[in-house]
Amino acid sequence: MKPLTIIASALPEAPVSEAAAPQGNGLTEMLAGWLPESVPFWGLTLMASGLAFGVIMAFVSVVAMFSTWLERKVAGHIQIRLGPMRVGGWHGWAQAIADGVKLLIKEDIILASADRPLFKLAPALVLGTAISTFVVLPFAPGVMIADVHLGIFFVIAISSVTTIGVIMAGWGSNNKWSVYGAMREAAQVASYEIPLGLSLMPPVIYYGSFSLLEATQAQSGWFGMHWYILDPSVMLVSVPSFVLFFVATLAETKRAPFDLPESESELVAGFHTEYSGIRFSFFFMEEYAAMFVMSAIATVLWFGGWNFLGLAALEGIPVLYTTACMLVFIVKSMLLVFVMMWVRWTLPRLRIDQVMILGYKYLTPLCLIVVFAASLLEYLRFVLSN
Amino acid sequence: MATPTSLPETARRSYWGNVWSTIKSTAVGMGITFRYLWSKPFTVQYPDEKLTTDERYRGIHYLEQDLCICCNACAKACPIDCIEMEATRHGKELEWHQFDLDYQKCMFCELCVYPCPKDCIHMGKEYALVTEDRGTLNMDLLTWQGLTEEQKVRIAEAEAKKAAKKAAKEAAAKKKAEQENREEA
Repeated sequence: MKPLTIIASALPEAPVSEAAAPQGNGLTEMLAGWLPESVPFWGLTLMASGLAFGVIMAFVSVVAMFSTWLERKVAGHIQIRLGPMRVGGWHGWAQAIADGVKLLIKEDIILASADRPLFKLAPALVLGTAISTFVVLPFAPGVMIADVHLGIFFVIAISSVTTIGVIMAGWGSNNKWSVYGAMREAAQVASYEIPLGLSLMPPVIYYGSFSLLEATQAQSGWFGMHWYILDPSVMLVSVPSFVLFFVATLAETKRAPFDLPESESELVAGFHTEYSGIRFSFFFMEEYAAMFVMSAIATVLWFGGWNFLGLAALEGIPVLYTTACMLVFIVKSMLLVFVMMWVRWTLPRLRIDQVMILGYKYLTPLCLIVVFAASLLEYLRFVLSN
Repeated sequence: MATPTSLPETARRSYWGNVWSTIKSTAVGMGITFRYLWSKPFTVQYPDEKLTTDERYRGIHYLEQDLCICCNACAKACPIDCIEMEATRHGKELEWHQFDLDYQKCMFCELCVYPCPKDCIHMGKEYALVTEDRGTLNMDLLTWQGLTEEQKVRIAEAEAKKAAKKAAKEAAAKKKAEQENREEA
């Protein structure tokens, strides 16, 4: 965990000699144990990918459903009303399922004047990139699809591909509002990618690694409460970097007060004006999936991942420990998702020039200052500890 | 250099002043919304629970039929003629045929209530008029249809009395005529 290891971890691995067997991950190894040896490696990889996709898709659907319900409940109660109360009995818990079924059976309209390939591809691309970021999230010890060495970098890189999908949707719709929405999205994401990346640097400097698994393991001290944001020796940079990351995340996931690509009061519905039925629901699922992923990244880097006070005491009981860790991780992430909703129902939408001013004149310089402070602090800690 | 005071406050603040005021105002706003989040909602779950209506609320009418004398005063007062009534008189007893109020027309102006000499038509508290069939909006305000046994007895008595009276009158007239005939003879 020393500063120099960052550079080492950022470099590509030494090239594998051709004689070496292809490297699989935990999933392929597990499948290899179950299946006969005659199954070739590419078959195993294909099956592992399919399995991972199924699991992630199911998880994303559940998260999106729960989040839509929570969003409506939070919105309702902040406005002193109740939100959905009828469907399914207890506080309208089945509202999201009913909405999903409704969207499934609705007519899927494609405009005659739309660019058909782009129009059809955009929702798939948007949702696909959103769910592929789930691959690197460490839910619990052993519950992680792939321990990518550059996990944080992977998430940031992949999640910005969503923008291309949004631009495709806007352009393919052949609609002024959609194109306005897509252009705003492009401008916004291009601007906020910088503070987003920079605000992730302080934790990376602290852990000396881009790996999300290593970040989680590094925070397991103090009976599970040695979180980056709670460490008094680095609090001076961890708290501001989290705030900056959170603001950049809101812009990145198109959440209010940065929901300019969608801004329903000026652009109808922005880039997804012309979408209906299941394609429309893909955009919604993407929004909630992206919110969850960004919250999960914040959970891993600032709030200790699956670590919680006294959770290590359960380590002897494997199934219970894994379940408890997953629960802690998901609850922490959902709490951050709740904060995003809370912000949405507090702040009004910014103007596009205000968004740009906030991004370039405030977040980026502040991020640079925080990164510099974090480097200095880490150097001091390194000098003092030796 | 002094900042010109004619500029708005946001433009006069320094860079760090802007940062601080953004954080502070967001925190204050989020505090307010958090308080609202836990406050009791105003919403009423309508079909299950209803708000209590005002004392003078003008809802669907109700008629005290025992008192009504079928005088048509309310129907005459109605500015849009939505009341229709019909009854046959048997002495003091009334045999009702209809007392209809068409809620497709009624505007709940309460003008039918004031002219009633018996004070028997009132504005009620019921307001749910939702229906799948417009015909049902032409409501019959009669509290009962047809006649009770007791009433039939009373009507029969009244009719008998009437008949007896008529018979007596005819008898008296006959007697008188006979007397006159005899005197002439």
